[in-house]
Amino acid sequence: MAHNIKILPGATVCEDCTLEGDITIGGGTVIHPRVSIIAEGGPIIIAEYCIIEEYSTIIHKKSDKQENPPKPLFIGAHNVFEVACKLESIYGHVGESNVFECRSFVGEEVKVGSGCVIGAACTLTAPQILADNTVIWGSEHHVREALEKQPSQLLQLDFLSKVMPNYHRLRKPNVHKRQPSRQSQEPSPKP
Amino acid sequence: MAYLTQPDYVRYICTCGQLKPITSLYFCRHCLKIRCGFCICHEVDSHYCPNCLENMPSSEARLKKNRCSSCFDCPSCYHTLSTRASLVQPRQQEGAGDGKVENKHQKKMYYLACFNCRWTSRDVGIPDQPVASGGWPERPNPFATQINQLLEYYKAIALQEKQEKIEKERKKFAIRGKYLTLTDKTGLTGAMARNIAGLPSSDSGSSSIIAKFVPSQASAEVEELPEDYFTKEVNLNQITSMPQRLLSPEWQPTDVSRLHPIAKLLSVKRSQRCRECDHNLTKPEYNPGSIKFKIELLAFYHIPEVKIISYEPMKAGENSTVLLKLSNPTAHEMTLCLMNPEDIPQVDNEEEQLENSLEKSLTLDKESAACKPAAAPAWRRAAAPCVRAVGPPVRVSVPQRDDAAEYDDDATHDANDVIVWRKANKLGVRLQVATEAAASRGGAALLALALQYSYRNTVPPAANAPNQRNHILYTTALLSLGNVA
Ligand SMILES: [Zn+2]
Ligand SMILES: [Zn+2]
Ligand SMILES: [Zn+2]
Ligand SMILES: [Zn+2]
Repeated sequence: MAHNIKILPGATVCEDCTLEGDITIGGGTVIHPRVSIIAEGGPIIIAEYCIIEEYSTIIHKKSDKQENPPKPLFIGAHNVFEVACKLESIYGHVGESNVFECRSFVGEEVKVGSGCVIGAACTLTAPQILADNTVIWGSEHHVREALEKQPSQLLQLDFLSKVMPNYHRLRKPNVHKRQPSRQSQEPSPKP
Repeated sequence: MAYLTQPDYVRYICTCGQLKPITSLYFCRHCLKIRCGFCICHEVDSHYCPNCLENMPSSEARLKKNRCSSCFDCPSCYHTLSTRASLVQPRQQEGAGDGKVENKHQKKMYYLACFNCRWTSRDVGIPDQPVASGGWPERPNPFATQINQLLEYYKAIALQEKQEKIEKERKKFAIRGKYLTLTDKTGLTGAMARNIAGLPSSDSGSSSIIAKFVPSQASAEVEELPEDYFTKEVNLNQITSMPQRLLSPEWQPTDVSRLHPIAKLLSVKRSQRCRECDHNLTKPEYNPGSIKFKIELLAFYHIPEVKIISYEPMKAGENSTVLLKLSNPTAHEMTLCLMNPEDIPQVDNEEEQLENSLEKSLTLDKESAACKPAAAPAWRRAAAPCVRAVGPPVRVSVPQRDDAAEYDDDATHDANDVIVWRKANKLGVRLQVATEAAASRGGAALLALALQYSYRNTVPPAANAPNQRNHILYTTALLSLGNVA
């Protein structure tokens, strides 16, 4: 698989994570160690100010339904992927300000709107569309509708981007603003 | 841990006949008997809030309807709500706002949020509060006056009945005993004393409340359902669930938008008391933050513990071997003898009497008391053991518990046919058991095992009591050995 990883300035991406395929990481986004982002079915674009915590997995799955050339999986701004959550998608678009809580699982054919919360250990496998501000929680997958979007984690992002460089090896941003990203090189992660 | 997560394989028979695992039993050091939650007195020691750990005297708790005034539960998922702060810029009047003032006037405002289902007090339009704790608007109870009326009415009735009873008593004891009451001595009557003390004359107050009370009327006329009730599409996200409604019985909100934070229910610290000798079996420390006990007479610390290591499949009419682990939790050496329950020597029927009086005091069904003399002990009704120990009774001696023992490893090896291994205050024994020939296949193979054990009482004896320290005690355990093959 051809690796083409674009890290925009301001993003904090730990070296110790698995990035495969065509991935773009927006500025202000923090990616913790041990995260797997696998773009096997098409490019993944992660917008600004997302937090992706340890052991989370984001996969753009291969699929026959996918058109050619494959559409990217676009993940909106201010999304929070908590520890060990898993998002699989074959196509599509994830809105903004969603929270994927610890060990949650969002299957291939789930379309996530904006401001949604997928509660800890909740698994969504059936094809469905989550309307904006849907909150799912508990082992019985209760659903309710929040009045407003989840508050953004700007303070936390600020803190993480300051602290992470002190304790982790980071991948350097390889795309500069106002520059086409054609000649960007893939950083060589040391084994 | 196994006691928490696994089924109860070994159950002891409490003095009252209940079957309980050793971890939910108590041992009264004064009566030398096993007690369980069913046959002891539970007393409330103190009320406290499980969230903020604030102590509350019982009178205050009653006044606050056993709820904490500063902690809340989520009305949507019943999790505890947390207070969150947000920086708010107060709205400036047009024209008056200039940059300098704006920065200064950033104010912290607080709202309640649930971290489980993300419900917030803003969802239902409760205004943010300027202080972190308290001050949350209380929703008035629409039936407050009616409830107060009812309360007053029943209080009045209770008072009246009490007075009538006193009246009756007085008439009954027309012939006075040798003691003079105060009113006799002084020639005062109760009513006069009341008058002098400036209290309202008792019966007139209560009777007027009773007279004035208007009972509620049932009416056949019910409000019509809205026209579109059956045709309008239902949005389940807008409607509360049954548990959500029942959580606040005063309002029973049908709409999600009418949910209101629920004041946290208080918890109690309780002490437990032996019914027979009135000694405390457990007494917690007063401080709500502490989980320690001042008195903690748990069976786990006093009676030998039996665990099943392994067993051969039980076949009807055949013998099998069971491996058991016995441990001595006490600080004294213990001689243990495993036998069949019917070999326990009959003690005087004092026990029986207690049992009877206990059952009476618990107002159990008469039936059980009636069938008692003829029938087997109470636990037999719940469980029918079909496996029994055979061969000579196993008699072993188990050393005392020694916290330092785990550091030395020179285990005494006196292993033989019966004792498989020994380690500190534990030992493994091999027991021969026989299954009844009549046992049905697939039925539960229950082994009833009586334990005779020596027990040294460390309670200083009362002045006049005989100084007897060493006792031979009996207890019976039921062991589940799978199913009859
Ligand atoms: Zn009992
Ligand atoms: Zn409280
Ligand atoms: Zn909640
Ligand atoms: Zn007692």
